[in-house]
Amino acid sequence: MLGQLARPGTIVVADFEAGLGTVMRLDGRPVDVVVVVVEPTAKSLEVGRRAADLVRESGLGRLVISANRVRDEDDAARVAAAFPGLDLLLVPDDPAILAAERSGVAPLDAAPEAPGVRALVSLAKGLLGPAGA
Amino acid sequence: MRVAFVGKGGAGKSSLAGTFARVLAGTGERVLALDSDPMPGLAFSLGIDRVDEGLPDETVEEYNDDGHRRFRLRQGLTGVGAVERYAVQGPDGVHFLQLGKAHGQRWDNTRQHFGFQHVLDDLPGDGWSIVGDLPGGTRQPFMTWGRYADTFLVIVEPTPASLLTGRRLARLAATAQAPRVVVVANKVRESEEVERVGERTGLRVLGAVPFDPELETADRLGRAVLDHDPQGQTATAVRSLMDVLLTGMEPS
Repeated sequence: MLGQLARPGTIVVADFEAGLGTVMRLDGRPVDVVVVVVEPTAKSLEVGRRAADLVRESGLGRLVISANRVRDEDDAARVAAAFPGLDLLLVPDDPAILAAERSGVAPLDAAPEAPGVRALVSLAKGLLGPAGA
Repeated sequence: MRVAFVGKGGAGKSSLAGTFARVLAGTGERVLALDSDPMPGLAFSLGIDRVDEGLPDETVEEYNDDGHRRFRLRQGLTGVGAVERYAVQGPDGVHFLQLGKAHGQRWDNTRQHFGFQHVLDDLPGDGWSIVGDLPGGTRQPFMTWGRYADTFLVIVEPTPASLLTGRRLARLAATAQAPRVVVVANKVRESEEVERVGERTGLRVLGAVPFDPELETADRLGRAVLDHDPQGQTATAVRSLMDVLLTGMEPS
């Protein structure tokens, strides 16, 4: 389906099921970029490491690690240690995103200037730049 | 007691299941904790460092069933025997059996999958309690990975997405004629959220677990919250859930 959606001037953003199942079944290079989303917890970093390995082994596309809910330097260090040499986006732990999630409102609508939201906007803009085009 | 934890990914199933298993084992029960998620999770919550030690491929043997390729437990091996042989001993005496974890492009868990499924059909009976941590989502947990359970705990956090998953699980449970299905409100910050979880899922609320910053810290450190903060909010709430189930008290 992802391959068939490709059109000049069209950008497809797919939110995959948790885990590796969907990524493992991708073939035919239907994606340009895979964003592996992790939290700075031991479980999430372990899953993220496996996802990143799979993306690299499969040559699926550019790999970006987006670390969500980063609270402090220790969190940032945990993420960096788990993914040495990879593109990292650190999204700060942001009460505005949590509040938006609980009220069922898109964070971009609820708090467009919140630090967590701005980090995600920077990711989107970065992927549209020369390296992600 | 045979309990399965279900709910949306990220709702807190593994954290609560691991804590529940250990708290139950701490009362002297023989507890088997089952992790049927192909991604690592329950081992961390139990405080077991063997996060990827599933059933070996030779647990099953292949046979031909009228032209179809099938798998069954190898000759002489029963489900109970597989538990005795392959379960890992964890803290508080918990026995831990896990599905092997996904890794790499050519990962194939066909044999593990069927082996685990056969074990689920022949789990230890008298004298054992089973605590299962199921994969996230709504893929028929009642008839497949959780079919051994007599009680399903639907773990729901008070977000629209988690509430919707809880509601769908409740409908699936009714369709599947599942035994007792109750909801646990997790990561609760305000008391009215508990009521909302009950209303929106249509399930009886067994109890609530407050949002616990110490659980977040334990998760970051890769420690079981029961080791990190044994008398904290999560451990206390899980003990209450267990008491309600053990005493047969009706949930609110």
